[in-house]
Amino acid sequence: MSARRAIYNARIIDPASGMDEKGGVLIENGVILDVGPGVTKTTQADVKNDAKGKALAPGLIDLRVKTGEPGAENKETLQTASDAAAAGGVTTFVVMPDTDPVIDSVALVDFVKRRADGVAKVKVHPAAGLTLGLDGAKMSEIGLIREAGAAFFSNGDKPVEDAGVLRRAMSYAASFDALVASRPDTPALSKNTVMNAGAFAARLGLRGAPPEAEWIALERDLMLAETTGVRLLVDCISTARSLAAVERARKAGVKVTCSVASYSLFFNELDVGDYLTYCKVQPPFRTEADRMALIDGLRRGVIDAVVSAHDPQPTEDKRLPIADAAFGAVGLETLLPALLSIALREEIPLAVALKPVTSGPADLLDLPQGRLAAGAPADLVLFDPAAPWACDRDDLSSRSKNSPFDGRKLEGRVLRTWVNGATVFERG
Amino acid sequence: MADYAFPHRHLLGIEGLNRLDIETLLELGDRYVDLNRQRVKHADTLAGRTLVNLFFENSTRTQGSFEIAGRRLGADVVTMPIATSSVKKGETLIDTAMTLNAMRPDLLVIRHGSSGAVKLLSRKVDCAVINAGDGTHEHPTQALLDALTIRRRAGDIGGMRIAICGDILHSRVARSNVACLNMLGAQVRLIAPRTLTPPGAADWGAEVFTDMRKGLEGCDVVMMLRLQQERMDGAYLPSAREFFHFYGLDADKLRHAKPEALVMHPGPMNRGVEIESSIADHKTRSLITEQVEMGVAIRMAVLETLAKNAPEPGANSK
Repeated sequence: MSARRAIYNARIIDPASGMDEKGGVLIENGVILDVGPGVTKTTQADVKNDAKGKALAPGLIDLRVKTGEPGAENKETLQTASDAAAAGGVTTFVVMPDTDPVIDSVALVDFVKRRADGVAKVKVHPAAGLTLGLDGAKMSEIGLIREAGAAFFSNGDKPVEDAGVLRRAMSYAASFDALVASRPDTPALSKNTVMNAGAFAARLGLRGAPPEAEWIALERDLMLAETTGVRLLVDCISTARSLAAVERARKAGVKVTCSVASYSLFFNELDVGDYLTYCKVQPPFRTEADRMALIDGLRRGVIDAVVSAHDPQPTEDKRLPIADAAFGAVGLETLLPALLSIALREEIPLAVALKPVTSGPADLLDLPQGRLAAGAPADLVLFDPAAPWACDRDDLSSRSKNSPFDGRKLEGRVLRTWVNGATVFERG
Repeated sequence: MADYAFPHRHLLGIEGLNRLDIETLLELGDRYVDLNRQRVKHADTLAGRTLVNLFFENSTRTQGSFEIAGRRLGADVVTMPIATSSVKKGETLIDTAMTLNAMRPDLLVIRHGSSGAVKLLSRKVDCAVINAGDGTHEHPTQALLDALTIRRRAGDIGGMRIAICGDILHSRVARSNVACLNMLGAQVRLIAPRTLTPPGAADWGAEVFTDMRKGLEGCDVVMMLRLQQERMDGAYLPSAREFFHFYGLDADKLRHAKPEALVMHPGPMNRGVEIESSIADHKTRSLITEQVEMGVAIRMAVLETLAKNAPEPGANSK
């Protein structure tokens, strides 16, 4: 029996129920016993924490994280990624299969789960390769891997180019009601590009990825999802038109959901500015009109998940001419602050802005966490929703420091994080 | 029914037959089972008639079964060695047919890898044509022998719940069986992953399942299909072990069917892929060897029936 803990005098935010009011949360044995205005300073408990009016929400669930484990531990390990997650208020994350070796078998899914159980402070769910070695040719053991506990199936950052392979893999996955995630990209259009195609890229003299690279693949994936009946998560859309396509398909009855990288809500193509390699990401920062359309989607509740798209890259792979630099940005520690900043600046209610990092992804993966409700795991984050701070990459817990937020001013800061009722991070 | 005149010249598929046609063949087949169990198995029904086996695809059991069926009825049986024949030398299918036709056979048994090829040949020859399997289209004598097997063991097929499991998409056996069992009043279920379920299968008059345990619930008969090795290379299925885990018939999955449910397989089996050995060899529940026995009898019935319908010499030739 663990001690009964009461966190009181908090601003309780539960996106699942829409709750945003004063109150507290009562925890015992790692599970939420009670939540709401009834939990106060006088509630019977062994340990009491005064939240001092700060915001208390479900710990974040991040559906897109890359680590370097196995294969590139110099970039990030499951342990260092979980440290970054805890510091960012992320209590559950999904690791992508793009590792070396690729997570494409029962044994590797099992390895990642066991490894994470041993070293990670937060909950880690592996996603598995849709095709073997992400080769885009042969499907992996989708049924067995799903039974082994894979969160979903994805070809990571290597899109399946052969529509026949994708159709059969989706069709097969549908037999098991497995979730398939696909980041829409057409390599023929995006290969060797650096940023969004357009006037700004032209002025910098950089090769740009046109938005059609995303649209063509997206439309194909939506059609195949429609005919195969698979549950499709469109991973990291970055344009206004992509969001409209997803909404249209959803209205037509396609079982489709979508995610957006937090950086796509925060930056536009101009932020690449002076050839900043930390801003070289896939999909690239798009136009301001795209960014505003995605923020509007956040406000309207049509974005199912906002992800960090955490992709650690060591200095040696980033401190290069931008055309030669690696893609990717770390994001676990800035996911919540970025969302809070956007919510504040764009006047989006927190219970709405936080849904795609709590109950949204929880529902997608059928997880019990991601909500403040009796019986749910006590995965919680306490934060100051308006505290201003400037991000300094050297203060990040990630092993790699490639953050586009480096030097940026943000509003909203994590104070403390709990997983199953135990503190995993506390700001000193 | 004894005086019912089977109205077809060829047997190209179950499609196109009616219930009476099927019952007529099953009843005649039933009588030949008894003949085949006697020490002397000869009849002279087809004495003086010529049966030609033309197998463009390798086959051991079906080809052998037709040969034995023809011989037991007294026919002269010739099996054309396709592998070393003029077909390999580039002769077109229709030229081969015309050549054979000129030899004036009475019955032509054809297996071909392309759907529709047997029907094409049937239009070019004067004799009766029996489809011994065309591509992924039909294999009518297999469906008839399966029906005879079930009937002899368990009685009336009407009202039975019968599951067909495995590679439905590429199976001519499944197509013929669905048509045949439906006609005989069975409730047919198809069980397969979606990659191996043909589009529109739900309109075949069968219920479609992806979960084998659910699909087997309440079934009287479980028919397993052969899974071709080349399907397991990652295109349609990830691996043999995954297929066995979800769609291989083992004791655990079979428990979901009726307690004494019968098990069938058209052969040849991949033990450990689509069926567990202990199930395939089960003394009381496996009908797999009985199917082979019924195969000879039903083919005798088909040969006799079609030979009767053959036009008089000269009636149809140029």
